[in-house]
Amino acid sequence: MQPKLSFEWLHACSGCEIALLNGGEQLLDLLGQVEIVHFPLLMDHKYGGQQGEGAPLSLPEADIGLVSGGVAHTEHLLVLQEMRKQCRTLIALGTCATYGGIPAMRNEWSTADTLRTVFTAGTGDNDPVMPLAPAFLDRVYSIDEKIKVDVSLPGCPPQPQLIGAVIKALINKETLQLPQKSVCETCPTIREGEKKMAPVRRFLHNADYDCDQPVSEMRCLLEQGLVCMGPVTAGGCGGKDTPLCLRARVPCRGCYGPVRSGGNQLLDMMNALASNGIDYRAIVDRKSLLRFSGAHGLLKPARKKN
Amino acid sequence: MNREQKIIAFCCNWCSYAAADLAGISRLQYPGSIRIIRVMCSGMVHPEMVLHALEQGAAGVMILGCHLGECHYIKGNEMALARSEVIADTLEDLGYASEQFQLTWISSAEPERLVEAFRTMSGRLAVLQSEQPADR
Repeated sequence: MQPKLSFEWLHACSGCEIALLNGGEQLLDLLGQVEIVHFPLLMDHKYGGQQGEGAPLSLPEADIGLVSGGVAHTEHLLVLQEMRKQCRTLIALGTCATYGGIPAMRNEWSTADTLRTVFTAGTGDNDPVMPLAPAFLDRVYSIDEKIKVDVSLPGCPPQPQLIGAVIKALINKETLQLPQKSVCETCPTIREGEKKMAPVRRFLHNADYDCDQPVSEMRCLLEQGLVCMGPVTAGGCGGKDTPLCLRARVPCRGCYGPVRSGGNQLLDMMNALASNGIDYRAIVDRKSLLRFSGAHGLLKPARKKN
Repeated sequence: MNREQKIIAFCCNWCSYAAADLAGISRLQYPGSIRIIRVMCSGMVHPEMVLHALEQGAAGVMILGCHLGECHYIKGNEMALARSEVIADTLEDLGYASEQFQLTWISSAEPERLVEAFRTMSGRLAVLQSEQPADR
């Protein structure tokens, strides 16, 4: 019997699902190897109970469960707990599921502030736009804060080949070594050493490079003074080749989350800059370095000053 | 003094830890909220260790190292100094108060100065706590 695959999305954008579908030929192989029992992006499937029959929420049993997106409101939480109950192996897929991702940027404000500034009708009164929507939690959580996760696969989105490889390894009951080094590990740009660092500048002008030359002829973007988050970001976006953003000659944005789980990209980046004698205060919006990893309580509303 | 309050003090093995030892021998009194952790050099205290202490519920974190120019490892305390500004600034970004962190230089012959630093920190945190809005 084929293993069953269930793919649920929570506070996410469907990019992770599309990354799986973007896998090319490996997707065709995969479709022959698993039976998809639940996949809201691809197939209609009722969660049960809408007509008053059965349990209010039930998902099918599965051998492999994939969950993309973080947990922002009570319904996400219920769906996630049901997924955990039904899936033998649960994979947190994508940076939202593993570190909060973009939606967790709202953790920089309180839920009340978010409701007031984003989700009001704009009529001046403070009625929420969607009075029947599930209640917001106090902040956006990554799924490992709420349930036990068996495999964490960050990325925005995760590299399609890696998603395929992980699912295949689970089907064949093999172990798979996930990438554990930083983005810099596979970055081919030229590093000349810390003594020659340029002062930090904003990315309003292009980096210096010759567009006829490959990336390996370009100077390290961080040494050019651009805030490249490569040193504090988990690698793997380009497979064994050049990281994706670097291929486009722009600095790493940090989308794979911290190199070690539990790391803090903001603090690590500031520390790396300060240890190399760079004026970190030149970075205008430091908090945005946590743009992909605001869950786990890392992003918090600013302390109220008296 | 708040009995719940805890202050983590990373003390350099070569100076402030010896000063704390001397403070004990000299029977100098300091607040009971201080928890000393001996490290080989103030420069080895990574900012994430400071953040971790605060996340685990410490009211404040102190790093105590040798006076500048007197580091046992030549430049360790300069590293600590470079990091300390980052820590103070980043703590504000992360929702803490920069007052919850303190870097101080103490030589091994300055137990009074150490005790004074402990007292100042404890007092400062008590004030901070009383100013804290009730909902946070």
